[in-house]
Amino acid sequence: MRNLLFAAFAVLLLLALLGVLFRYYLRTKSAADVTWDDLLKRLARVDRDNIARIALDAIDESGQHRNGEGAFSLEPSVIWSLLGGLEGLQVLERNCQVLVELAAYLQRWYPEALVVAEQLRLNAREIEWHVSRLKGAAQTGNLQAAFADYAQRAVVTYYLMTRHLLDLYEHASVPQFAQLQRAL
Amino acid sequence: MELTLLDRFLWAATLCGGLLTLLVLIVRGRVRSFPFFTTYIAQGVCTSVAEYFILCHFPILTYCYCYWALGIVDEVFQLFVFYELAKHVFCPTGVWAQDVRRTFLGLVGASVVVALLLTVLAHPTGRLPLQTFVLRSDFFSAALMSELLVGMLVLSATVGLPWKTHVARIAQGLGAYSLLCVATDPITNYLVANRRADLYKYVNHLEISTYLACEIFWIVMLWREAPVPRELPESMRIQIYTLQKEVENDLIRVRAWRRN
Repeated sequence: MRNLLFAAFAVLLLLALLGVLFRYYLRTKSAADVTWDDLLKRLARVDRDNIARIALDAIDESGQHRNGEGAFSLEPSVIWSLLGGLEGLQVLERNCQVLVELAAYLQRWYPEALVVAEQLRLNAREIEWHVSRLKGAAQTGNLQAAFADYAQRAVVTYYLMTRHLLDLYEHASVPQFAQLQRAL
Repeated sequence: MELTLLDRFLWAATLCGGLLTLLVLIVRGRVRSFPFFTTYIAQGVCTSVAEYFILCHFPILTYCYCYWALGIVDEVFQLFVFYELAKHVFCPTGVWAQDVRRTFLGLVGASVVVALLLTVLAHPTGRLPLQTFVLRSDFFSAALMSELLVGMLVLSATVGLPWKTHVARIAQGLGAYSLLCVATDPITNYLVANRRADLYKYVNHLEISTYLACEIFWIVMLWREAPVPRELPESMRIQIYTLQKEVENDLIRVRAWRRN
């Protein structure tokens, strides 16, 4: 009886592993064939002016933390509407997933850009983390309290990250720069 | 123990496969990137030779003890190979990526717990206590390696860390062999418990043949060079190091600030 149970669980484990393996094999296979253009097409358009307005409420043009009167003048409700609510945050989150893939693309094809790509990947993952906290807070009804702490920080990170990415391509005069600028 | 012609052929073939894999690793300079994997293959070759020598010159019981004891050594080496592969994937810049450390430890912990629970459930009855222990540990090792390799694939896909060509090929070979062992070990337990040596032989041949196929796969794949990386534009190369510092500093500032 015990051996039968063991065999049943072993088969279940095997099927589960094979299922996961098959699913992720297809996913990584399609990721390996993806081109730069395909990735850019998947970036959802965000209102860059609004992103900049929220970010520049917390940091200055050079990326330094702002102090004094003008700093943090935006109310959470204003930030919320500028972002487009939870839907807007989800767009940012989806864009971050694409940026993670862009970083993976850079790591795969341009190993020399490994360090920057890894930094961008970490930034994108950090934004995903902030957004997931906000979504969790929204589900538990604590969005108001969590919003100020996570939302603006996520937007600042997104703003700085995309600005660096654009800088990188602009200075390098890479042909895809215009496409990337439009998408971000 | 009488060896059939097929036994001898499989033994010789896996030995040649191991030697060729070793040769490829050395000639193509993969030893530097995969020292643990090279050691694992070298250990396999040495084990194979030692077991054959013991079988020919010592009593069968001595062979059985050596076979089982060396089986445990093999399992330990597999874990080192897993660590090596994980380091290649999750340490792209030489240090463990910050966002995978905890999840990776969680993956290892969960894999050990699941493999351990299943192993406890198994009830193999070998002729000797050591045989029973090795039958259990064989399954534990196969289940653990399968879970770890599949988990590593899922984690890397989730966090967006790509696999280098040779790392992926080594993992594929090792993963395929481990998954087959997860399927065959319960059958082995049943056959050993019921003294069905005639059928056990076929299962054993299937496992050895699969390992042989993995060796051939490694020989071919490790001989081939990985795809050549694309050339980074010169202007982009200059910018990269400055930008990397800027991004790093930004992140430190963003993490530190608090809304007044």
